[in-house]
Amino acid sequence: MSGPHFDDLVDPGVTGAERERLRRTHDLLVAVGAPPELPPSLVHPPGQVPEAELRTLPRGLPRRRLAATIVLAAALALAAFAAGYLAGDRGTEPAFPTDFVLAMRGTDAAPDARASLAVGRRDGAGNWPMTITVRGLETLRPGARYELFLTRDGRAAQSCGTFVVAGDKTVVFLNAPFRLKRFAGWIVTREDSERILLRTAEI
Amino acid sequence: MSPGHDGRGSDSRLLQSVAEGDREAFEELYRRYARPVYGLALRRLGDRERAEEAVQETFASVWRSAESFDASRGAGASWLYAIARNSIVDRLRARRDTVAELPDTAAPEGGPDEAAEAGWIAWRVHRALEELPPAEREVLELAYWSGLSQSEVARFLNLPLGTVKTRTRSALGRLGRLLEREDLA
Repeated sequence: MSGPHFDDLVDPGVTGAERERLRRTHDLLVAVGAPPELPPSLVHPPGQVPEAELRTLPRGLPRRRLAATIVLAAALALAAFAAGYLAGDRGTEPAFPTDFVLAMRGTDAAPDARASLAVGRRDGAGNWPMTITVRGLETLRPGARYELFLTRDGRAAQSCGTFVVAGDKTVVFLNAPFRLKRFAGWIVTREDSERILLRTAEI
Repeated sequence: MSPGHDGRGSDSRLLQSVAEGDREAFEELYRRYARPVYGLALRRLGDRERAEEAVQETFASVWRSAESFDASRGAGASWLYAIARNSIVDRLRARRDTVAELPDTAAPEGGPDEAAEAGWIAWRVHRALEELPPAEREVLELAYWSGLSQSEVARFLNLPLGTVKTRTRSALGRLGRLLEREDLA
């Protein structure tokens, strides 16, 4: 079994029967492991449709192949957790139904940065609305911006727009007018820089 | 299975509402059980795409056959587990692999293999996690599965360390009480 040490979580002042109850629960949590994050195709419940139609992804959702390439890998426990956490901590709700949420982790260039990327349903024109909620990026000098890119082979491939940050948390509405299944993830850099500051998991 | 603790109704009541065509009840059941079903399917099928299909088929079956649920014969969670189990077994058979036995329920007699029993236990633990208040669930998930220390969790959440420790203890206690009702803790 791996996981946190019980004594690190529960103060020694908790003793006796209560401590033993908490320890049993602790042992169970360590034993069962993390519940998996739902892939994009399962974020929403199926509708009241015949089973044959249920096998078809709802309109606007990425195909399973896309989900397989962009979805946050449940095997990456920290990233999988962060997606679920950050999805619940967006603060500002996007003005569109969210199909899936990805966590972005800071690289060595921005170790304190983190973000969640909420992707909405594709519209009829082919736009994927997105909201990025960012923490931990430094406020840049006037005129400087950050940029969100779709990636291919680990490198920036298509820009989804630029933004600036201020304060502890910044929420930005962006758009990806591309066929997402052609890409593998997202990164954030400073505009006109190749240095990656934030990245999603990439498969 | 213990009743729901959040005022939105027990699993049995939700199933009865689903049988009457209540879409909100169905969505609440989905919220509670999608991750446990997906986890169980992933564990048994080892294939993400098939696990997704199993989840979709499970809930399609729930919607179609909720009226067959009889609360006098067992808890809602057990009924749901049986539905999920059938969907998973169907996929195992379709693949023509050796069918991995899944326990019918946590029956006292019989001896399901350890892996199958572990799946049933994980199902119930993950289901109980969904019953925790969000603030408690998040500190627990961070503490156990993010690799962060308590101090790092506190910084991550922008909370005092003492608050994180209090919530963690409270979450463990609440989860333990939920699981005690299922003879798990």
